[in-house]
Amino acid sequence: MKKTYGWLSAFVLVLLLVLAGCSDSGTKEGAGEKESDGKKATKEGNDLVIAVADNFTTMDPHDTNDTLSGSAQRTMMEGLVGFDKDMNVIPLLAEEYEANDEATEFTFKLREDVKFHDGTDFNAEAVKANFDRLADPESGLKRHSLFALIEKTEVVSDYEVKFTLSEPFGAMINTFAHPAALLHSPKSLEESGDDVAKHPVGTGPFKFVEWKPSEGLKIEKNEDYWKKGYPKVDAITFKPVSENGSRIAMLQTGEADFIYPVPTEQVEGVNGKNGIEVESEKSIVVRYMAMNTLKEPYNDVKVRQALNYAINKDAFIKVVMNGEGEKLDSVIAPDVQFYSQQELYEFDLEKAKGLLKDAGVKEGMKAKLWGGNSSSTVKAMEFLQQQLAAVGIEVEVVPMEAGTLSDKIWSVQNADDAELELYYGGWSPSTGDADWGIRPLLGGADAFPPKSYNVSYYDNDEANKLISAGLETADEDKRAEAYADVQKLLWDDAPWVFLSADNTLAGKKNYLKGVYLLPDGSLSVSEAEIE
Amino acid sequence: MLRFLGKRLLQIIPILILVSIFIFLFVHMIPGDPARLVAGEDATIEDVELVRKELGLDKPIVEQYVTYMKNLVTGDLGKSLKTGREVSYEIGERFMPTFWLTVWSMSWAVVAGLIIGVVSATKRNKWQDYLGMFGAVSGLSLPSFWLGLMLIQLFAVTLGWLPSGGMDSWKSYILPAFTLGTGVAAVVARFTRSSLMDVLKEDYIRTGRSKGLNERRITWGHGLRNAMIPVVTMTGLQFGFLLGGSVVIESVFSWPGLGKLLIDSVAYRDYPVIQAEMLIFALEFIIINLVVDLLYGILNPQIRYE
Repeated sequence: MKKTYGWLSAFVLVLLLVLAGCSDSGTKEGAGEKESDGKKATKEGNDLVIAVADNFTTMDPHDTNDTLSGSAQRTMMEGLVGFDKDMNVIPLLAEEYEANDEATEFTFKLREDVKFHDGTDFNAEAVKANFDRLADPESGLKRHSLFALIEKTEVVSDYEVKFTLSEPFGAMINTFAHPAALLHSPKSLEESGDDVAKHPVGTGPFKFVEWKPSEGLKIEKNEDYWKKGYPKVDAITFKPVSENGSRIAMLQTGEADFIYPVPTEQVEGVNGKNGIEVESEKSIVVRYMAMNTLKEPYNDVKVRQALNYAINKDAFIKVVMNGEGEKLDSVIAPDVQFYSQQELYEFDLEKAKGLLKDAGVKEGMKAKLWGGNSSSTVKAMEFLQQQLAAVGIEVEVVPMEAGTLSDKIWSVQNADDAELELYYGGWSPSTGDADWGIRPLLGGADAFPPKSYNVSYYDNDEANKLISAGLETADEDKRAEAYADVQKLLWDDAPWVFLSADNTLAGKKNYLKGVYLLPDGSLSVSEAEIE
Repeated sequence: MLRFLGKRLLQIIPILILVSIFIFLFVHMIPGDPARLVAGEDATIEDVELVRKELGLDKPIVEQYVTYMKNLVTGDLGKSLKTGREVSYEIGERFMPTFWLTVWSMSWAVVAGLIIGVVSATKRNKWQDYLGMFGAVSGLSLPSFWLGLMLIQLFAVTLGWLPSGGMDSWKSYILPAFTLGTGVAAVVARFTRSSLMDVLKEDYIRTGRSKGLNERRITWGHGLRNAMIPVVTMTGLQFGFLLGGSVVIESVFSWPGLGKLLIDSVAYRDYPVIQAEMLIFALEFIIINLVVDLLYGILNPQIRYE
């Protein structure tokens, strides 16, 4: 009998070891054999599974501030206008719109053939119900501030609605295209109140089925969708899979048809194998290092320009972003409306050193660089530290956790008390308009923390004037001119070290068409199709 | 015995009250402004203040505590700051997945650990012992993160036998339960081995042998029973830890459990969820301790309850 136990335990152990050992070689095999097999993956059925990195927070667009939840909402709900693949504003539930020259009145003509999923007609009353809710300061909605300047919403006729703003706001059309401006069924709003966050009813290509925060969201085809011939798939399940490696495994096993994001370091390992394609798309996320322009020596434009010359942006993209990015050549990314390209600060150590010398900065100057504590952020900060060492600046990298960042940076009440010297961060203007890409970050004293995000504490009258000018009219040409001027000014004045614009990466099986990421990082599935 | 049980159950109440006070204070002492985190990355100051008011975070801390305790007494754990859903719903959704995963992981781990431990102790310094302890050290040293991903690669990607994650069928339990149990099995094996080896040196074991009991009876009947006390204590602790959910396992296998909920809630400063989860963890440990104490008595009737 003694023998039996010995063998039994040996068996268990061998099993353990074999498992651990085999699995290692398993990876190598899996990747090695199928090297760029050019295989066409196949799919049974007409349902999709999409794996995403996080849980959705809410299904109420008016109360949403994360892009991911917005992406899910957009499958079920639509706004008056929306964005196309290049962040241009396109009509959705409105057929056309016009604005007065002062950018205070916006009138929309609505589609007449649309119904909400609960059978309610889509009309001007429905639009009014939604925007009255958004514009109500008592609503407590997270996106109220975007719409706070709507003074009144009027029903002109059954299918015409007019918005009057309390002040001119030239970027308003983009705000109407913002994911927060998706429309609930007025009946659902009335009956469920804030519970619409749990069971959204919209006009979109898909209808809500079920949402369990930890397990995911199920949606099904809206048979009566107004855009004929769409959607082309029967159902979609979104699953939250936070671990990068697991998300990739799901795509490899076919448990998921589409995943995002794909971590940049794993692209090579999976692209072109098992019928997997990784798609890299330009985004409007910009990366920069802000310099506190109230503090010495960063109050000197020469120093700020010197730092711009001192950083090798190509290397930054290669090392920090694994090549998935473009050099940033303005304060906003190319797909943001009214972007105008500037002449790059080419990497030039001698020029940087010369400028620092002119500014009287001594070799061995100390600086503190603050930022978040995610591994990619820390990697970026360490890269900047290395680069600045070459021009004699000793940078101390201080990663901070979100709550600490909020205390040390975003909640500072008085600009002069700000300890911040350098800050590494990123920004994605969710309205896709130049205004939201510039004003919150560099829009003068009105944008200083805690009100907004101007951590450069940059306050330039000329720039402020131009930023206001961009908002005081709805005339596209005049706006474009103002934003071109302010971009040139900000570029030369360099309150940031301009680094890169991100690419977004998504992985999919090659039978899947029509699912893609928009430049704002949100996902579009309404044209999804299985070949 | 019943009196002991009643007394211990009554003790739970003051402990929980004390724990709740500490939790409340600690949670509010973490730096960071939940209103700002809830309002989001590009929120304006107006949004932040609106959110603060909406969440009742503008009130003085004492008032917030009184409200919290009042609600707690009536069983109301509040609403999640992040999702706006009831905390009881958020935790309820994730409790059973964590519970069952813990049960399955512990079951195989304890059985395997005991067998390996006993064999190693009885075959001391023979190849079975070396193999057993080599396995145990490996089990302890393998990062579960790595092990989990490797198992996914082998069984889900390459062989296609098991799902890579989620909680859709009984098959979904196999990989996460195996990964989660590996460390526990290793610890149980090591504890069993050392404890049993000590016991086997005792006089009464020698007496047993000399009166002609067979080795199997001695090891399993007399030896193991007496060697179990430290093993039970440790297993209880492990059970408690696993019930808290494992962030690593839950992330790797997309398991809807409590561990990730807690980490997410801390990152988000989702006070009500953090408080409720901590309270539940405290309660779990109290109950497990009680069960472990009762098990002592079964294992060794000389232990008396007072």
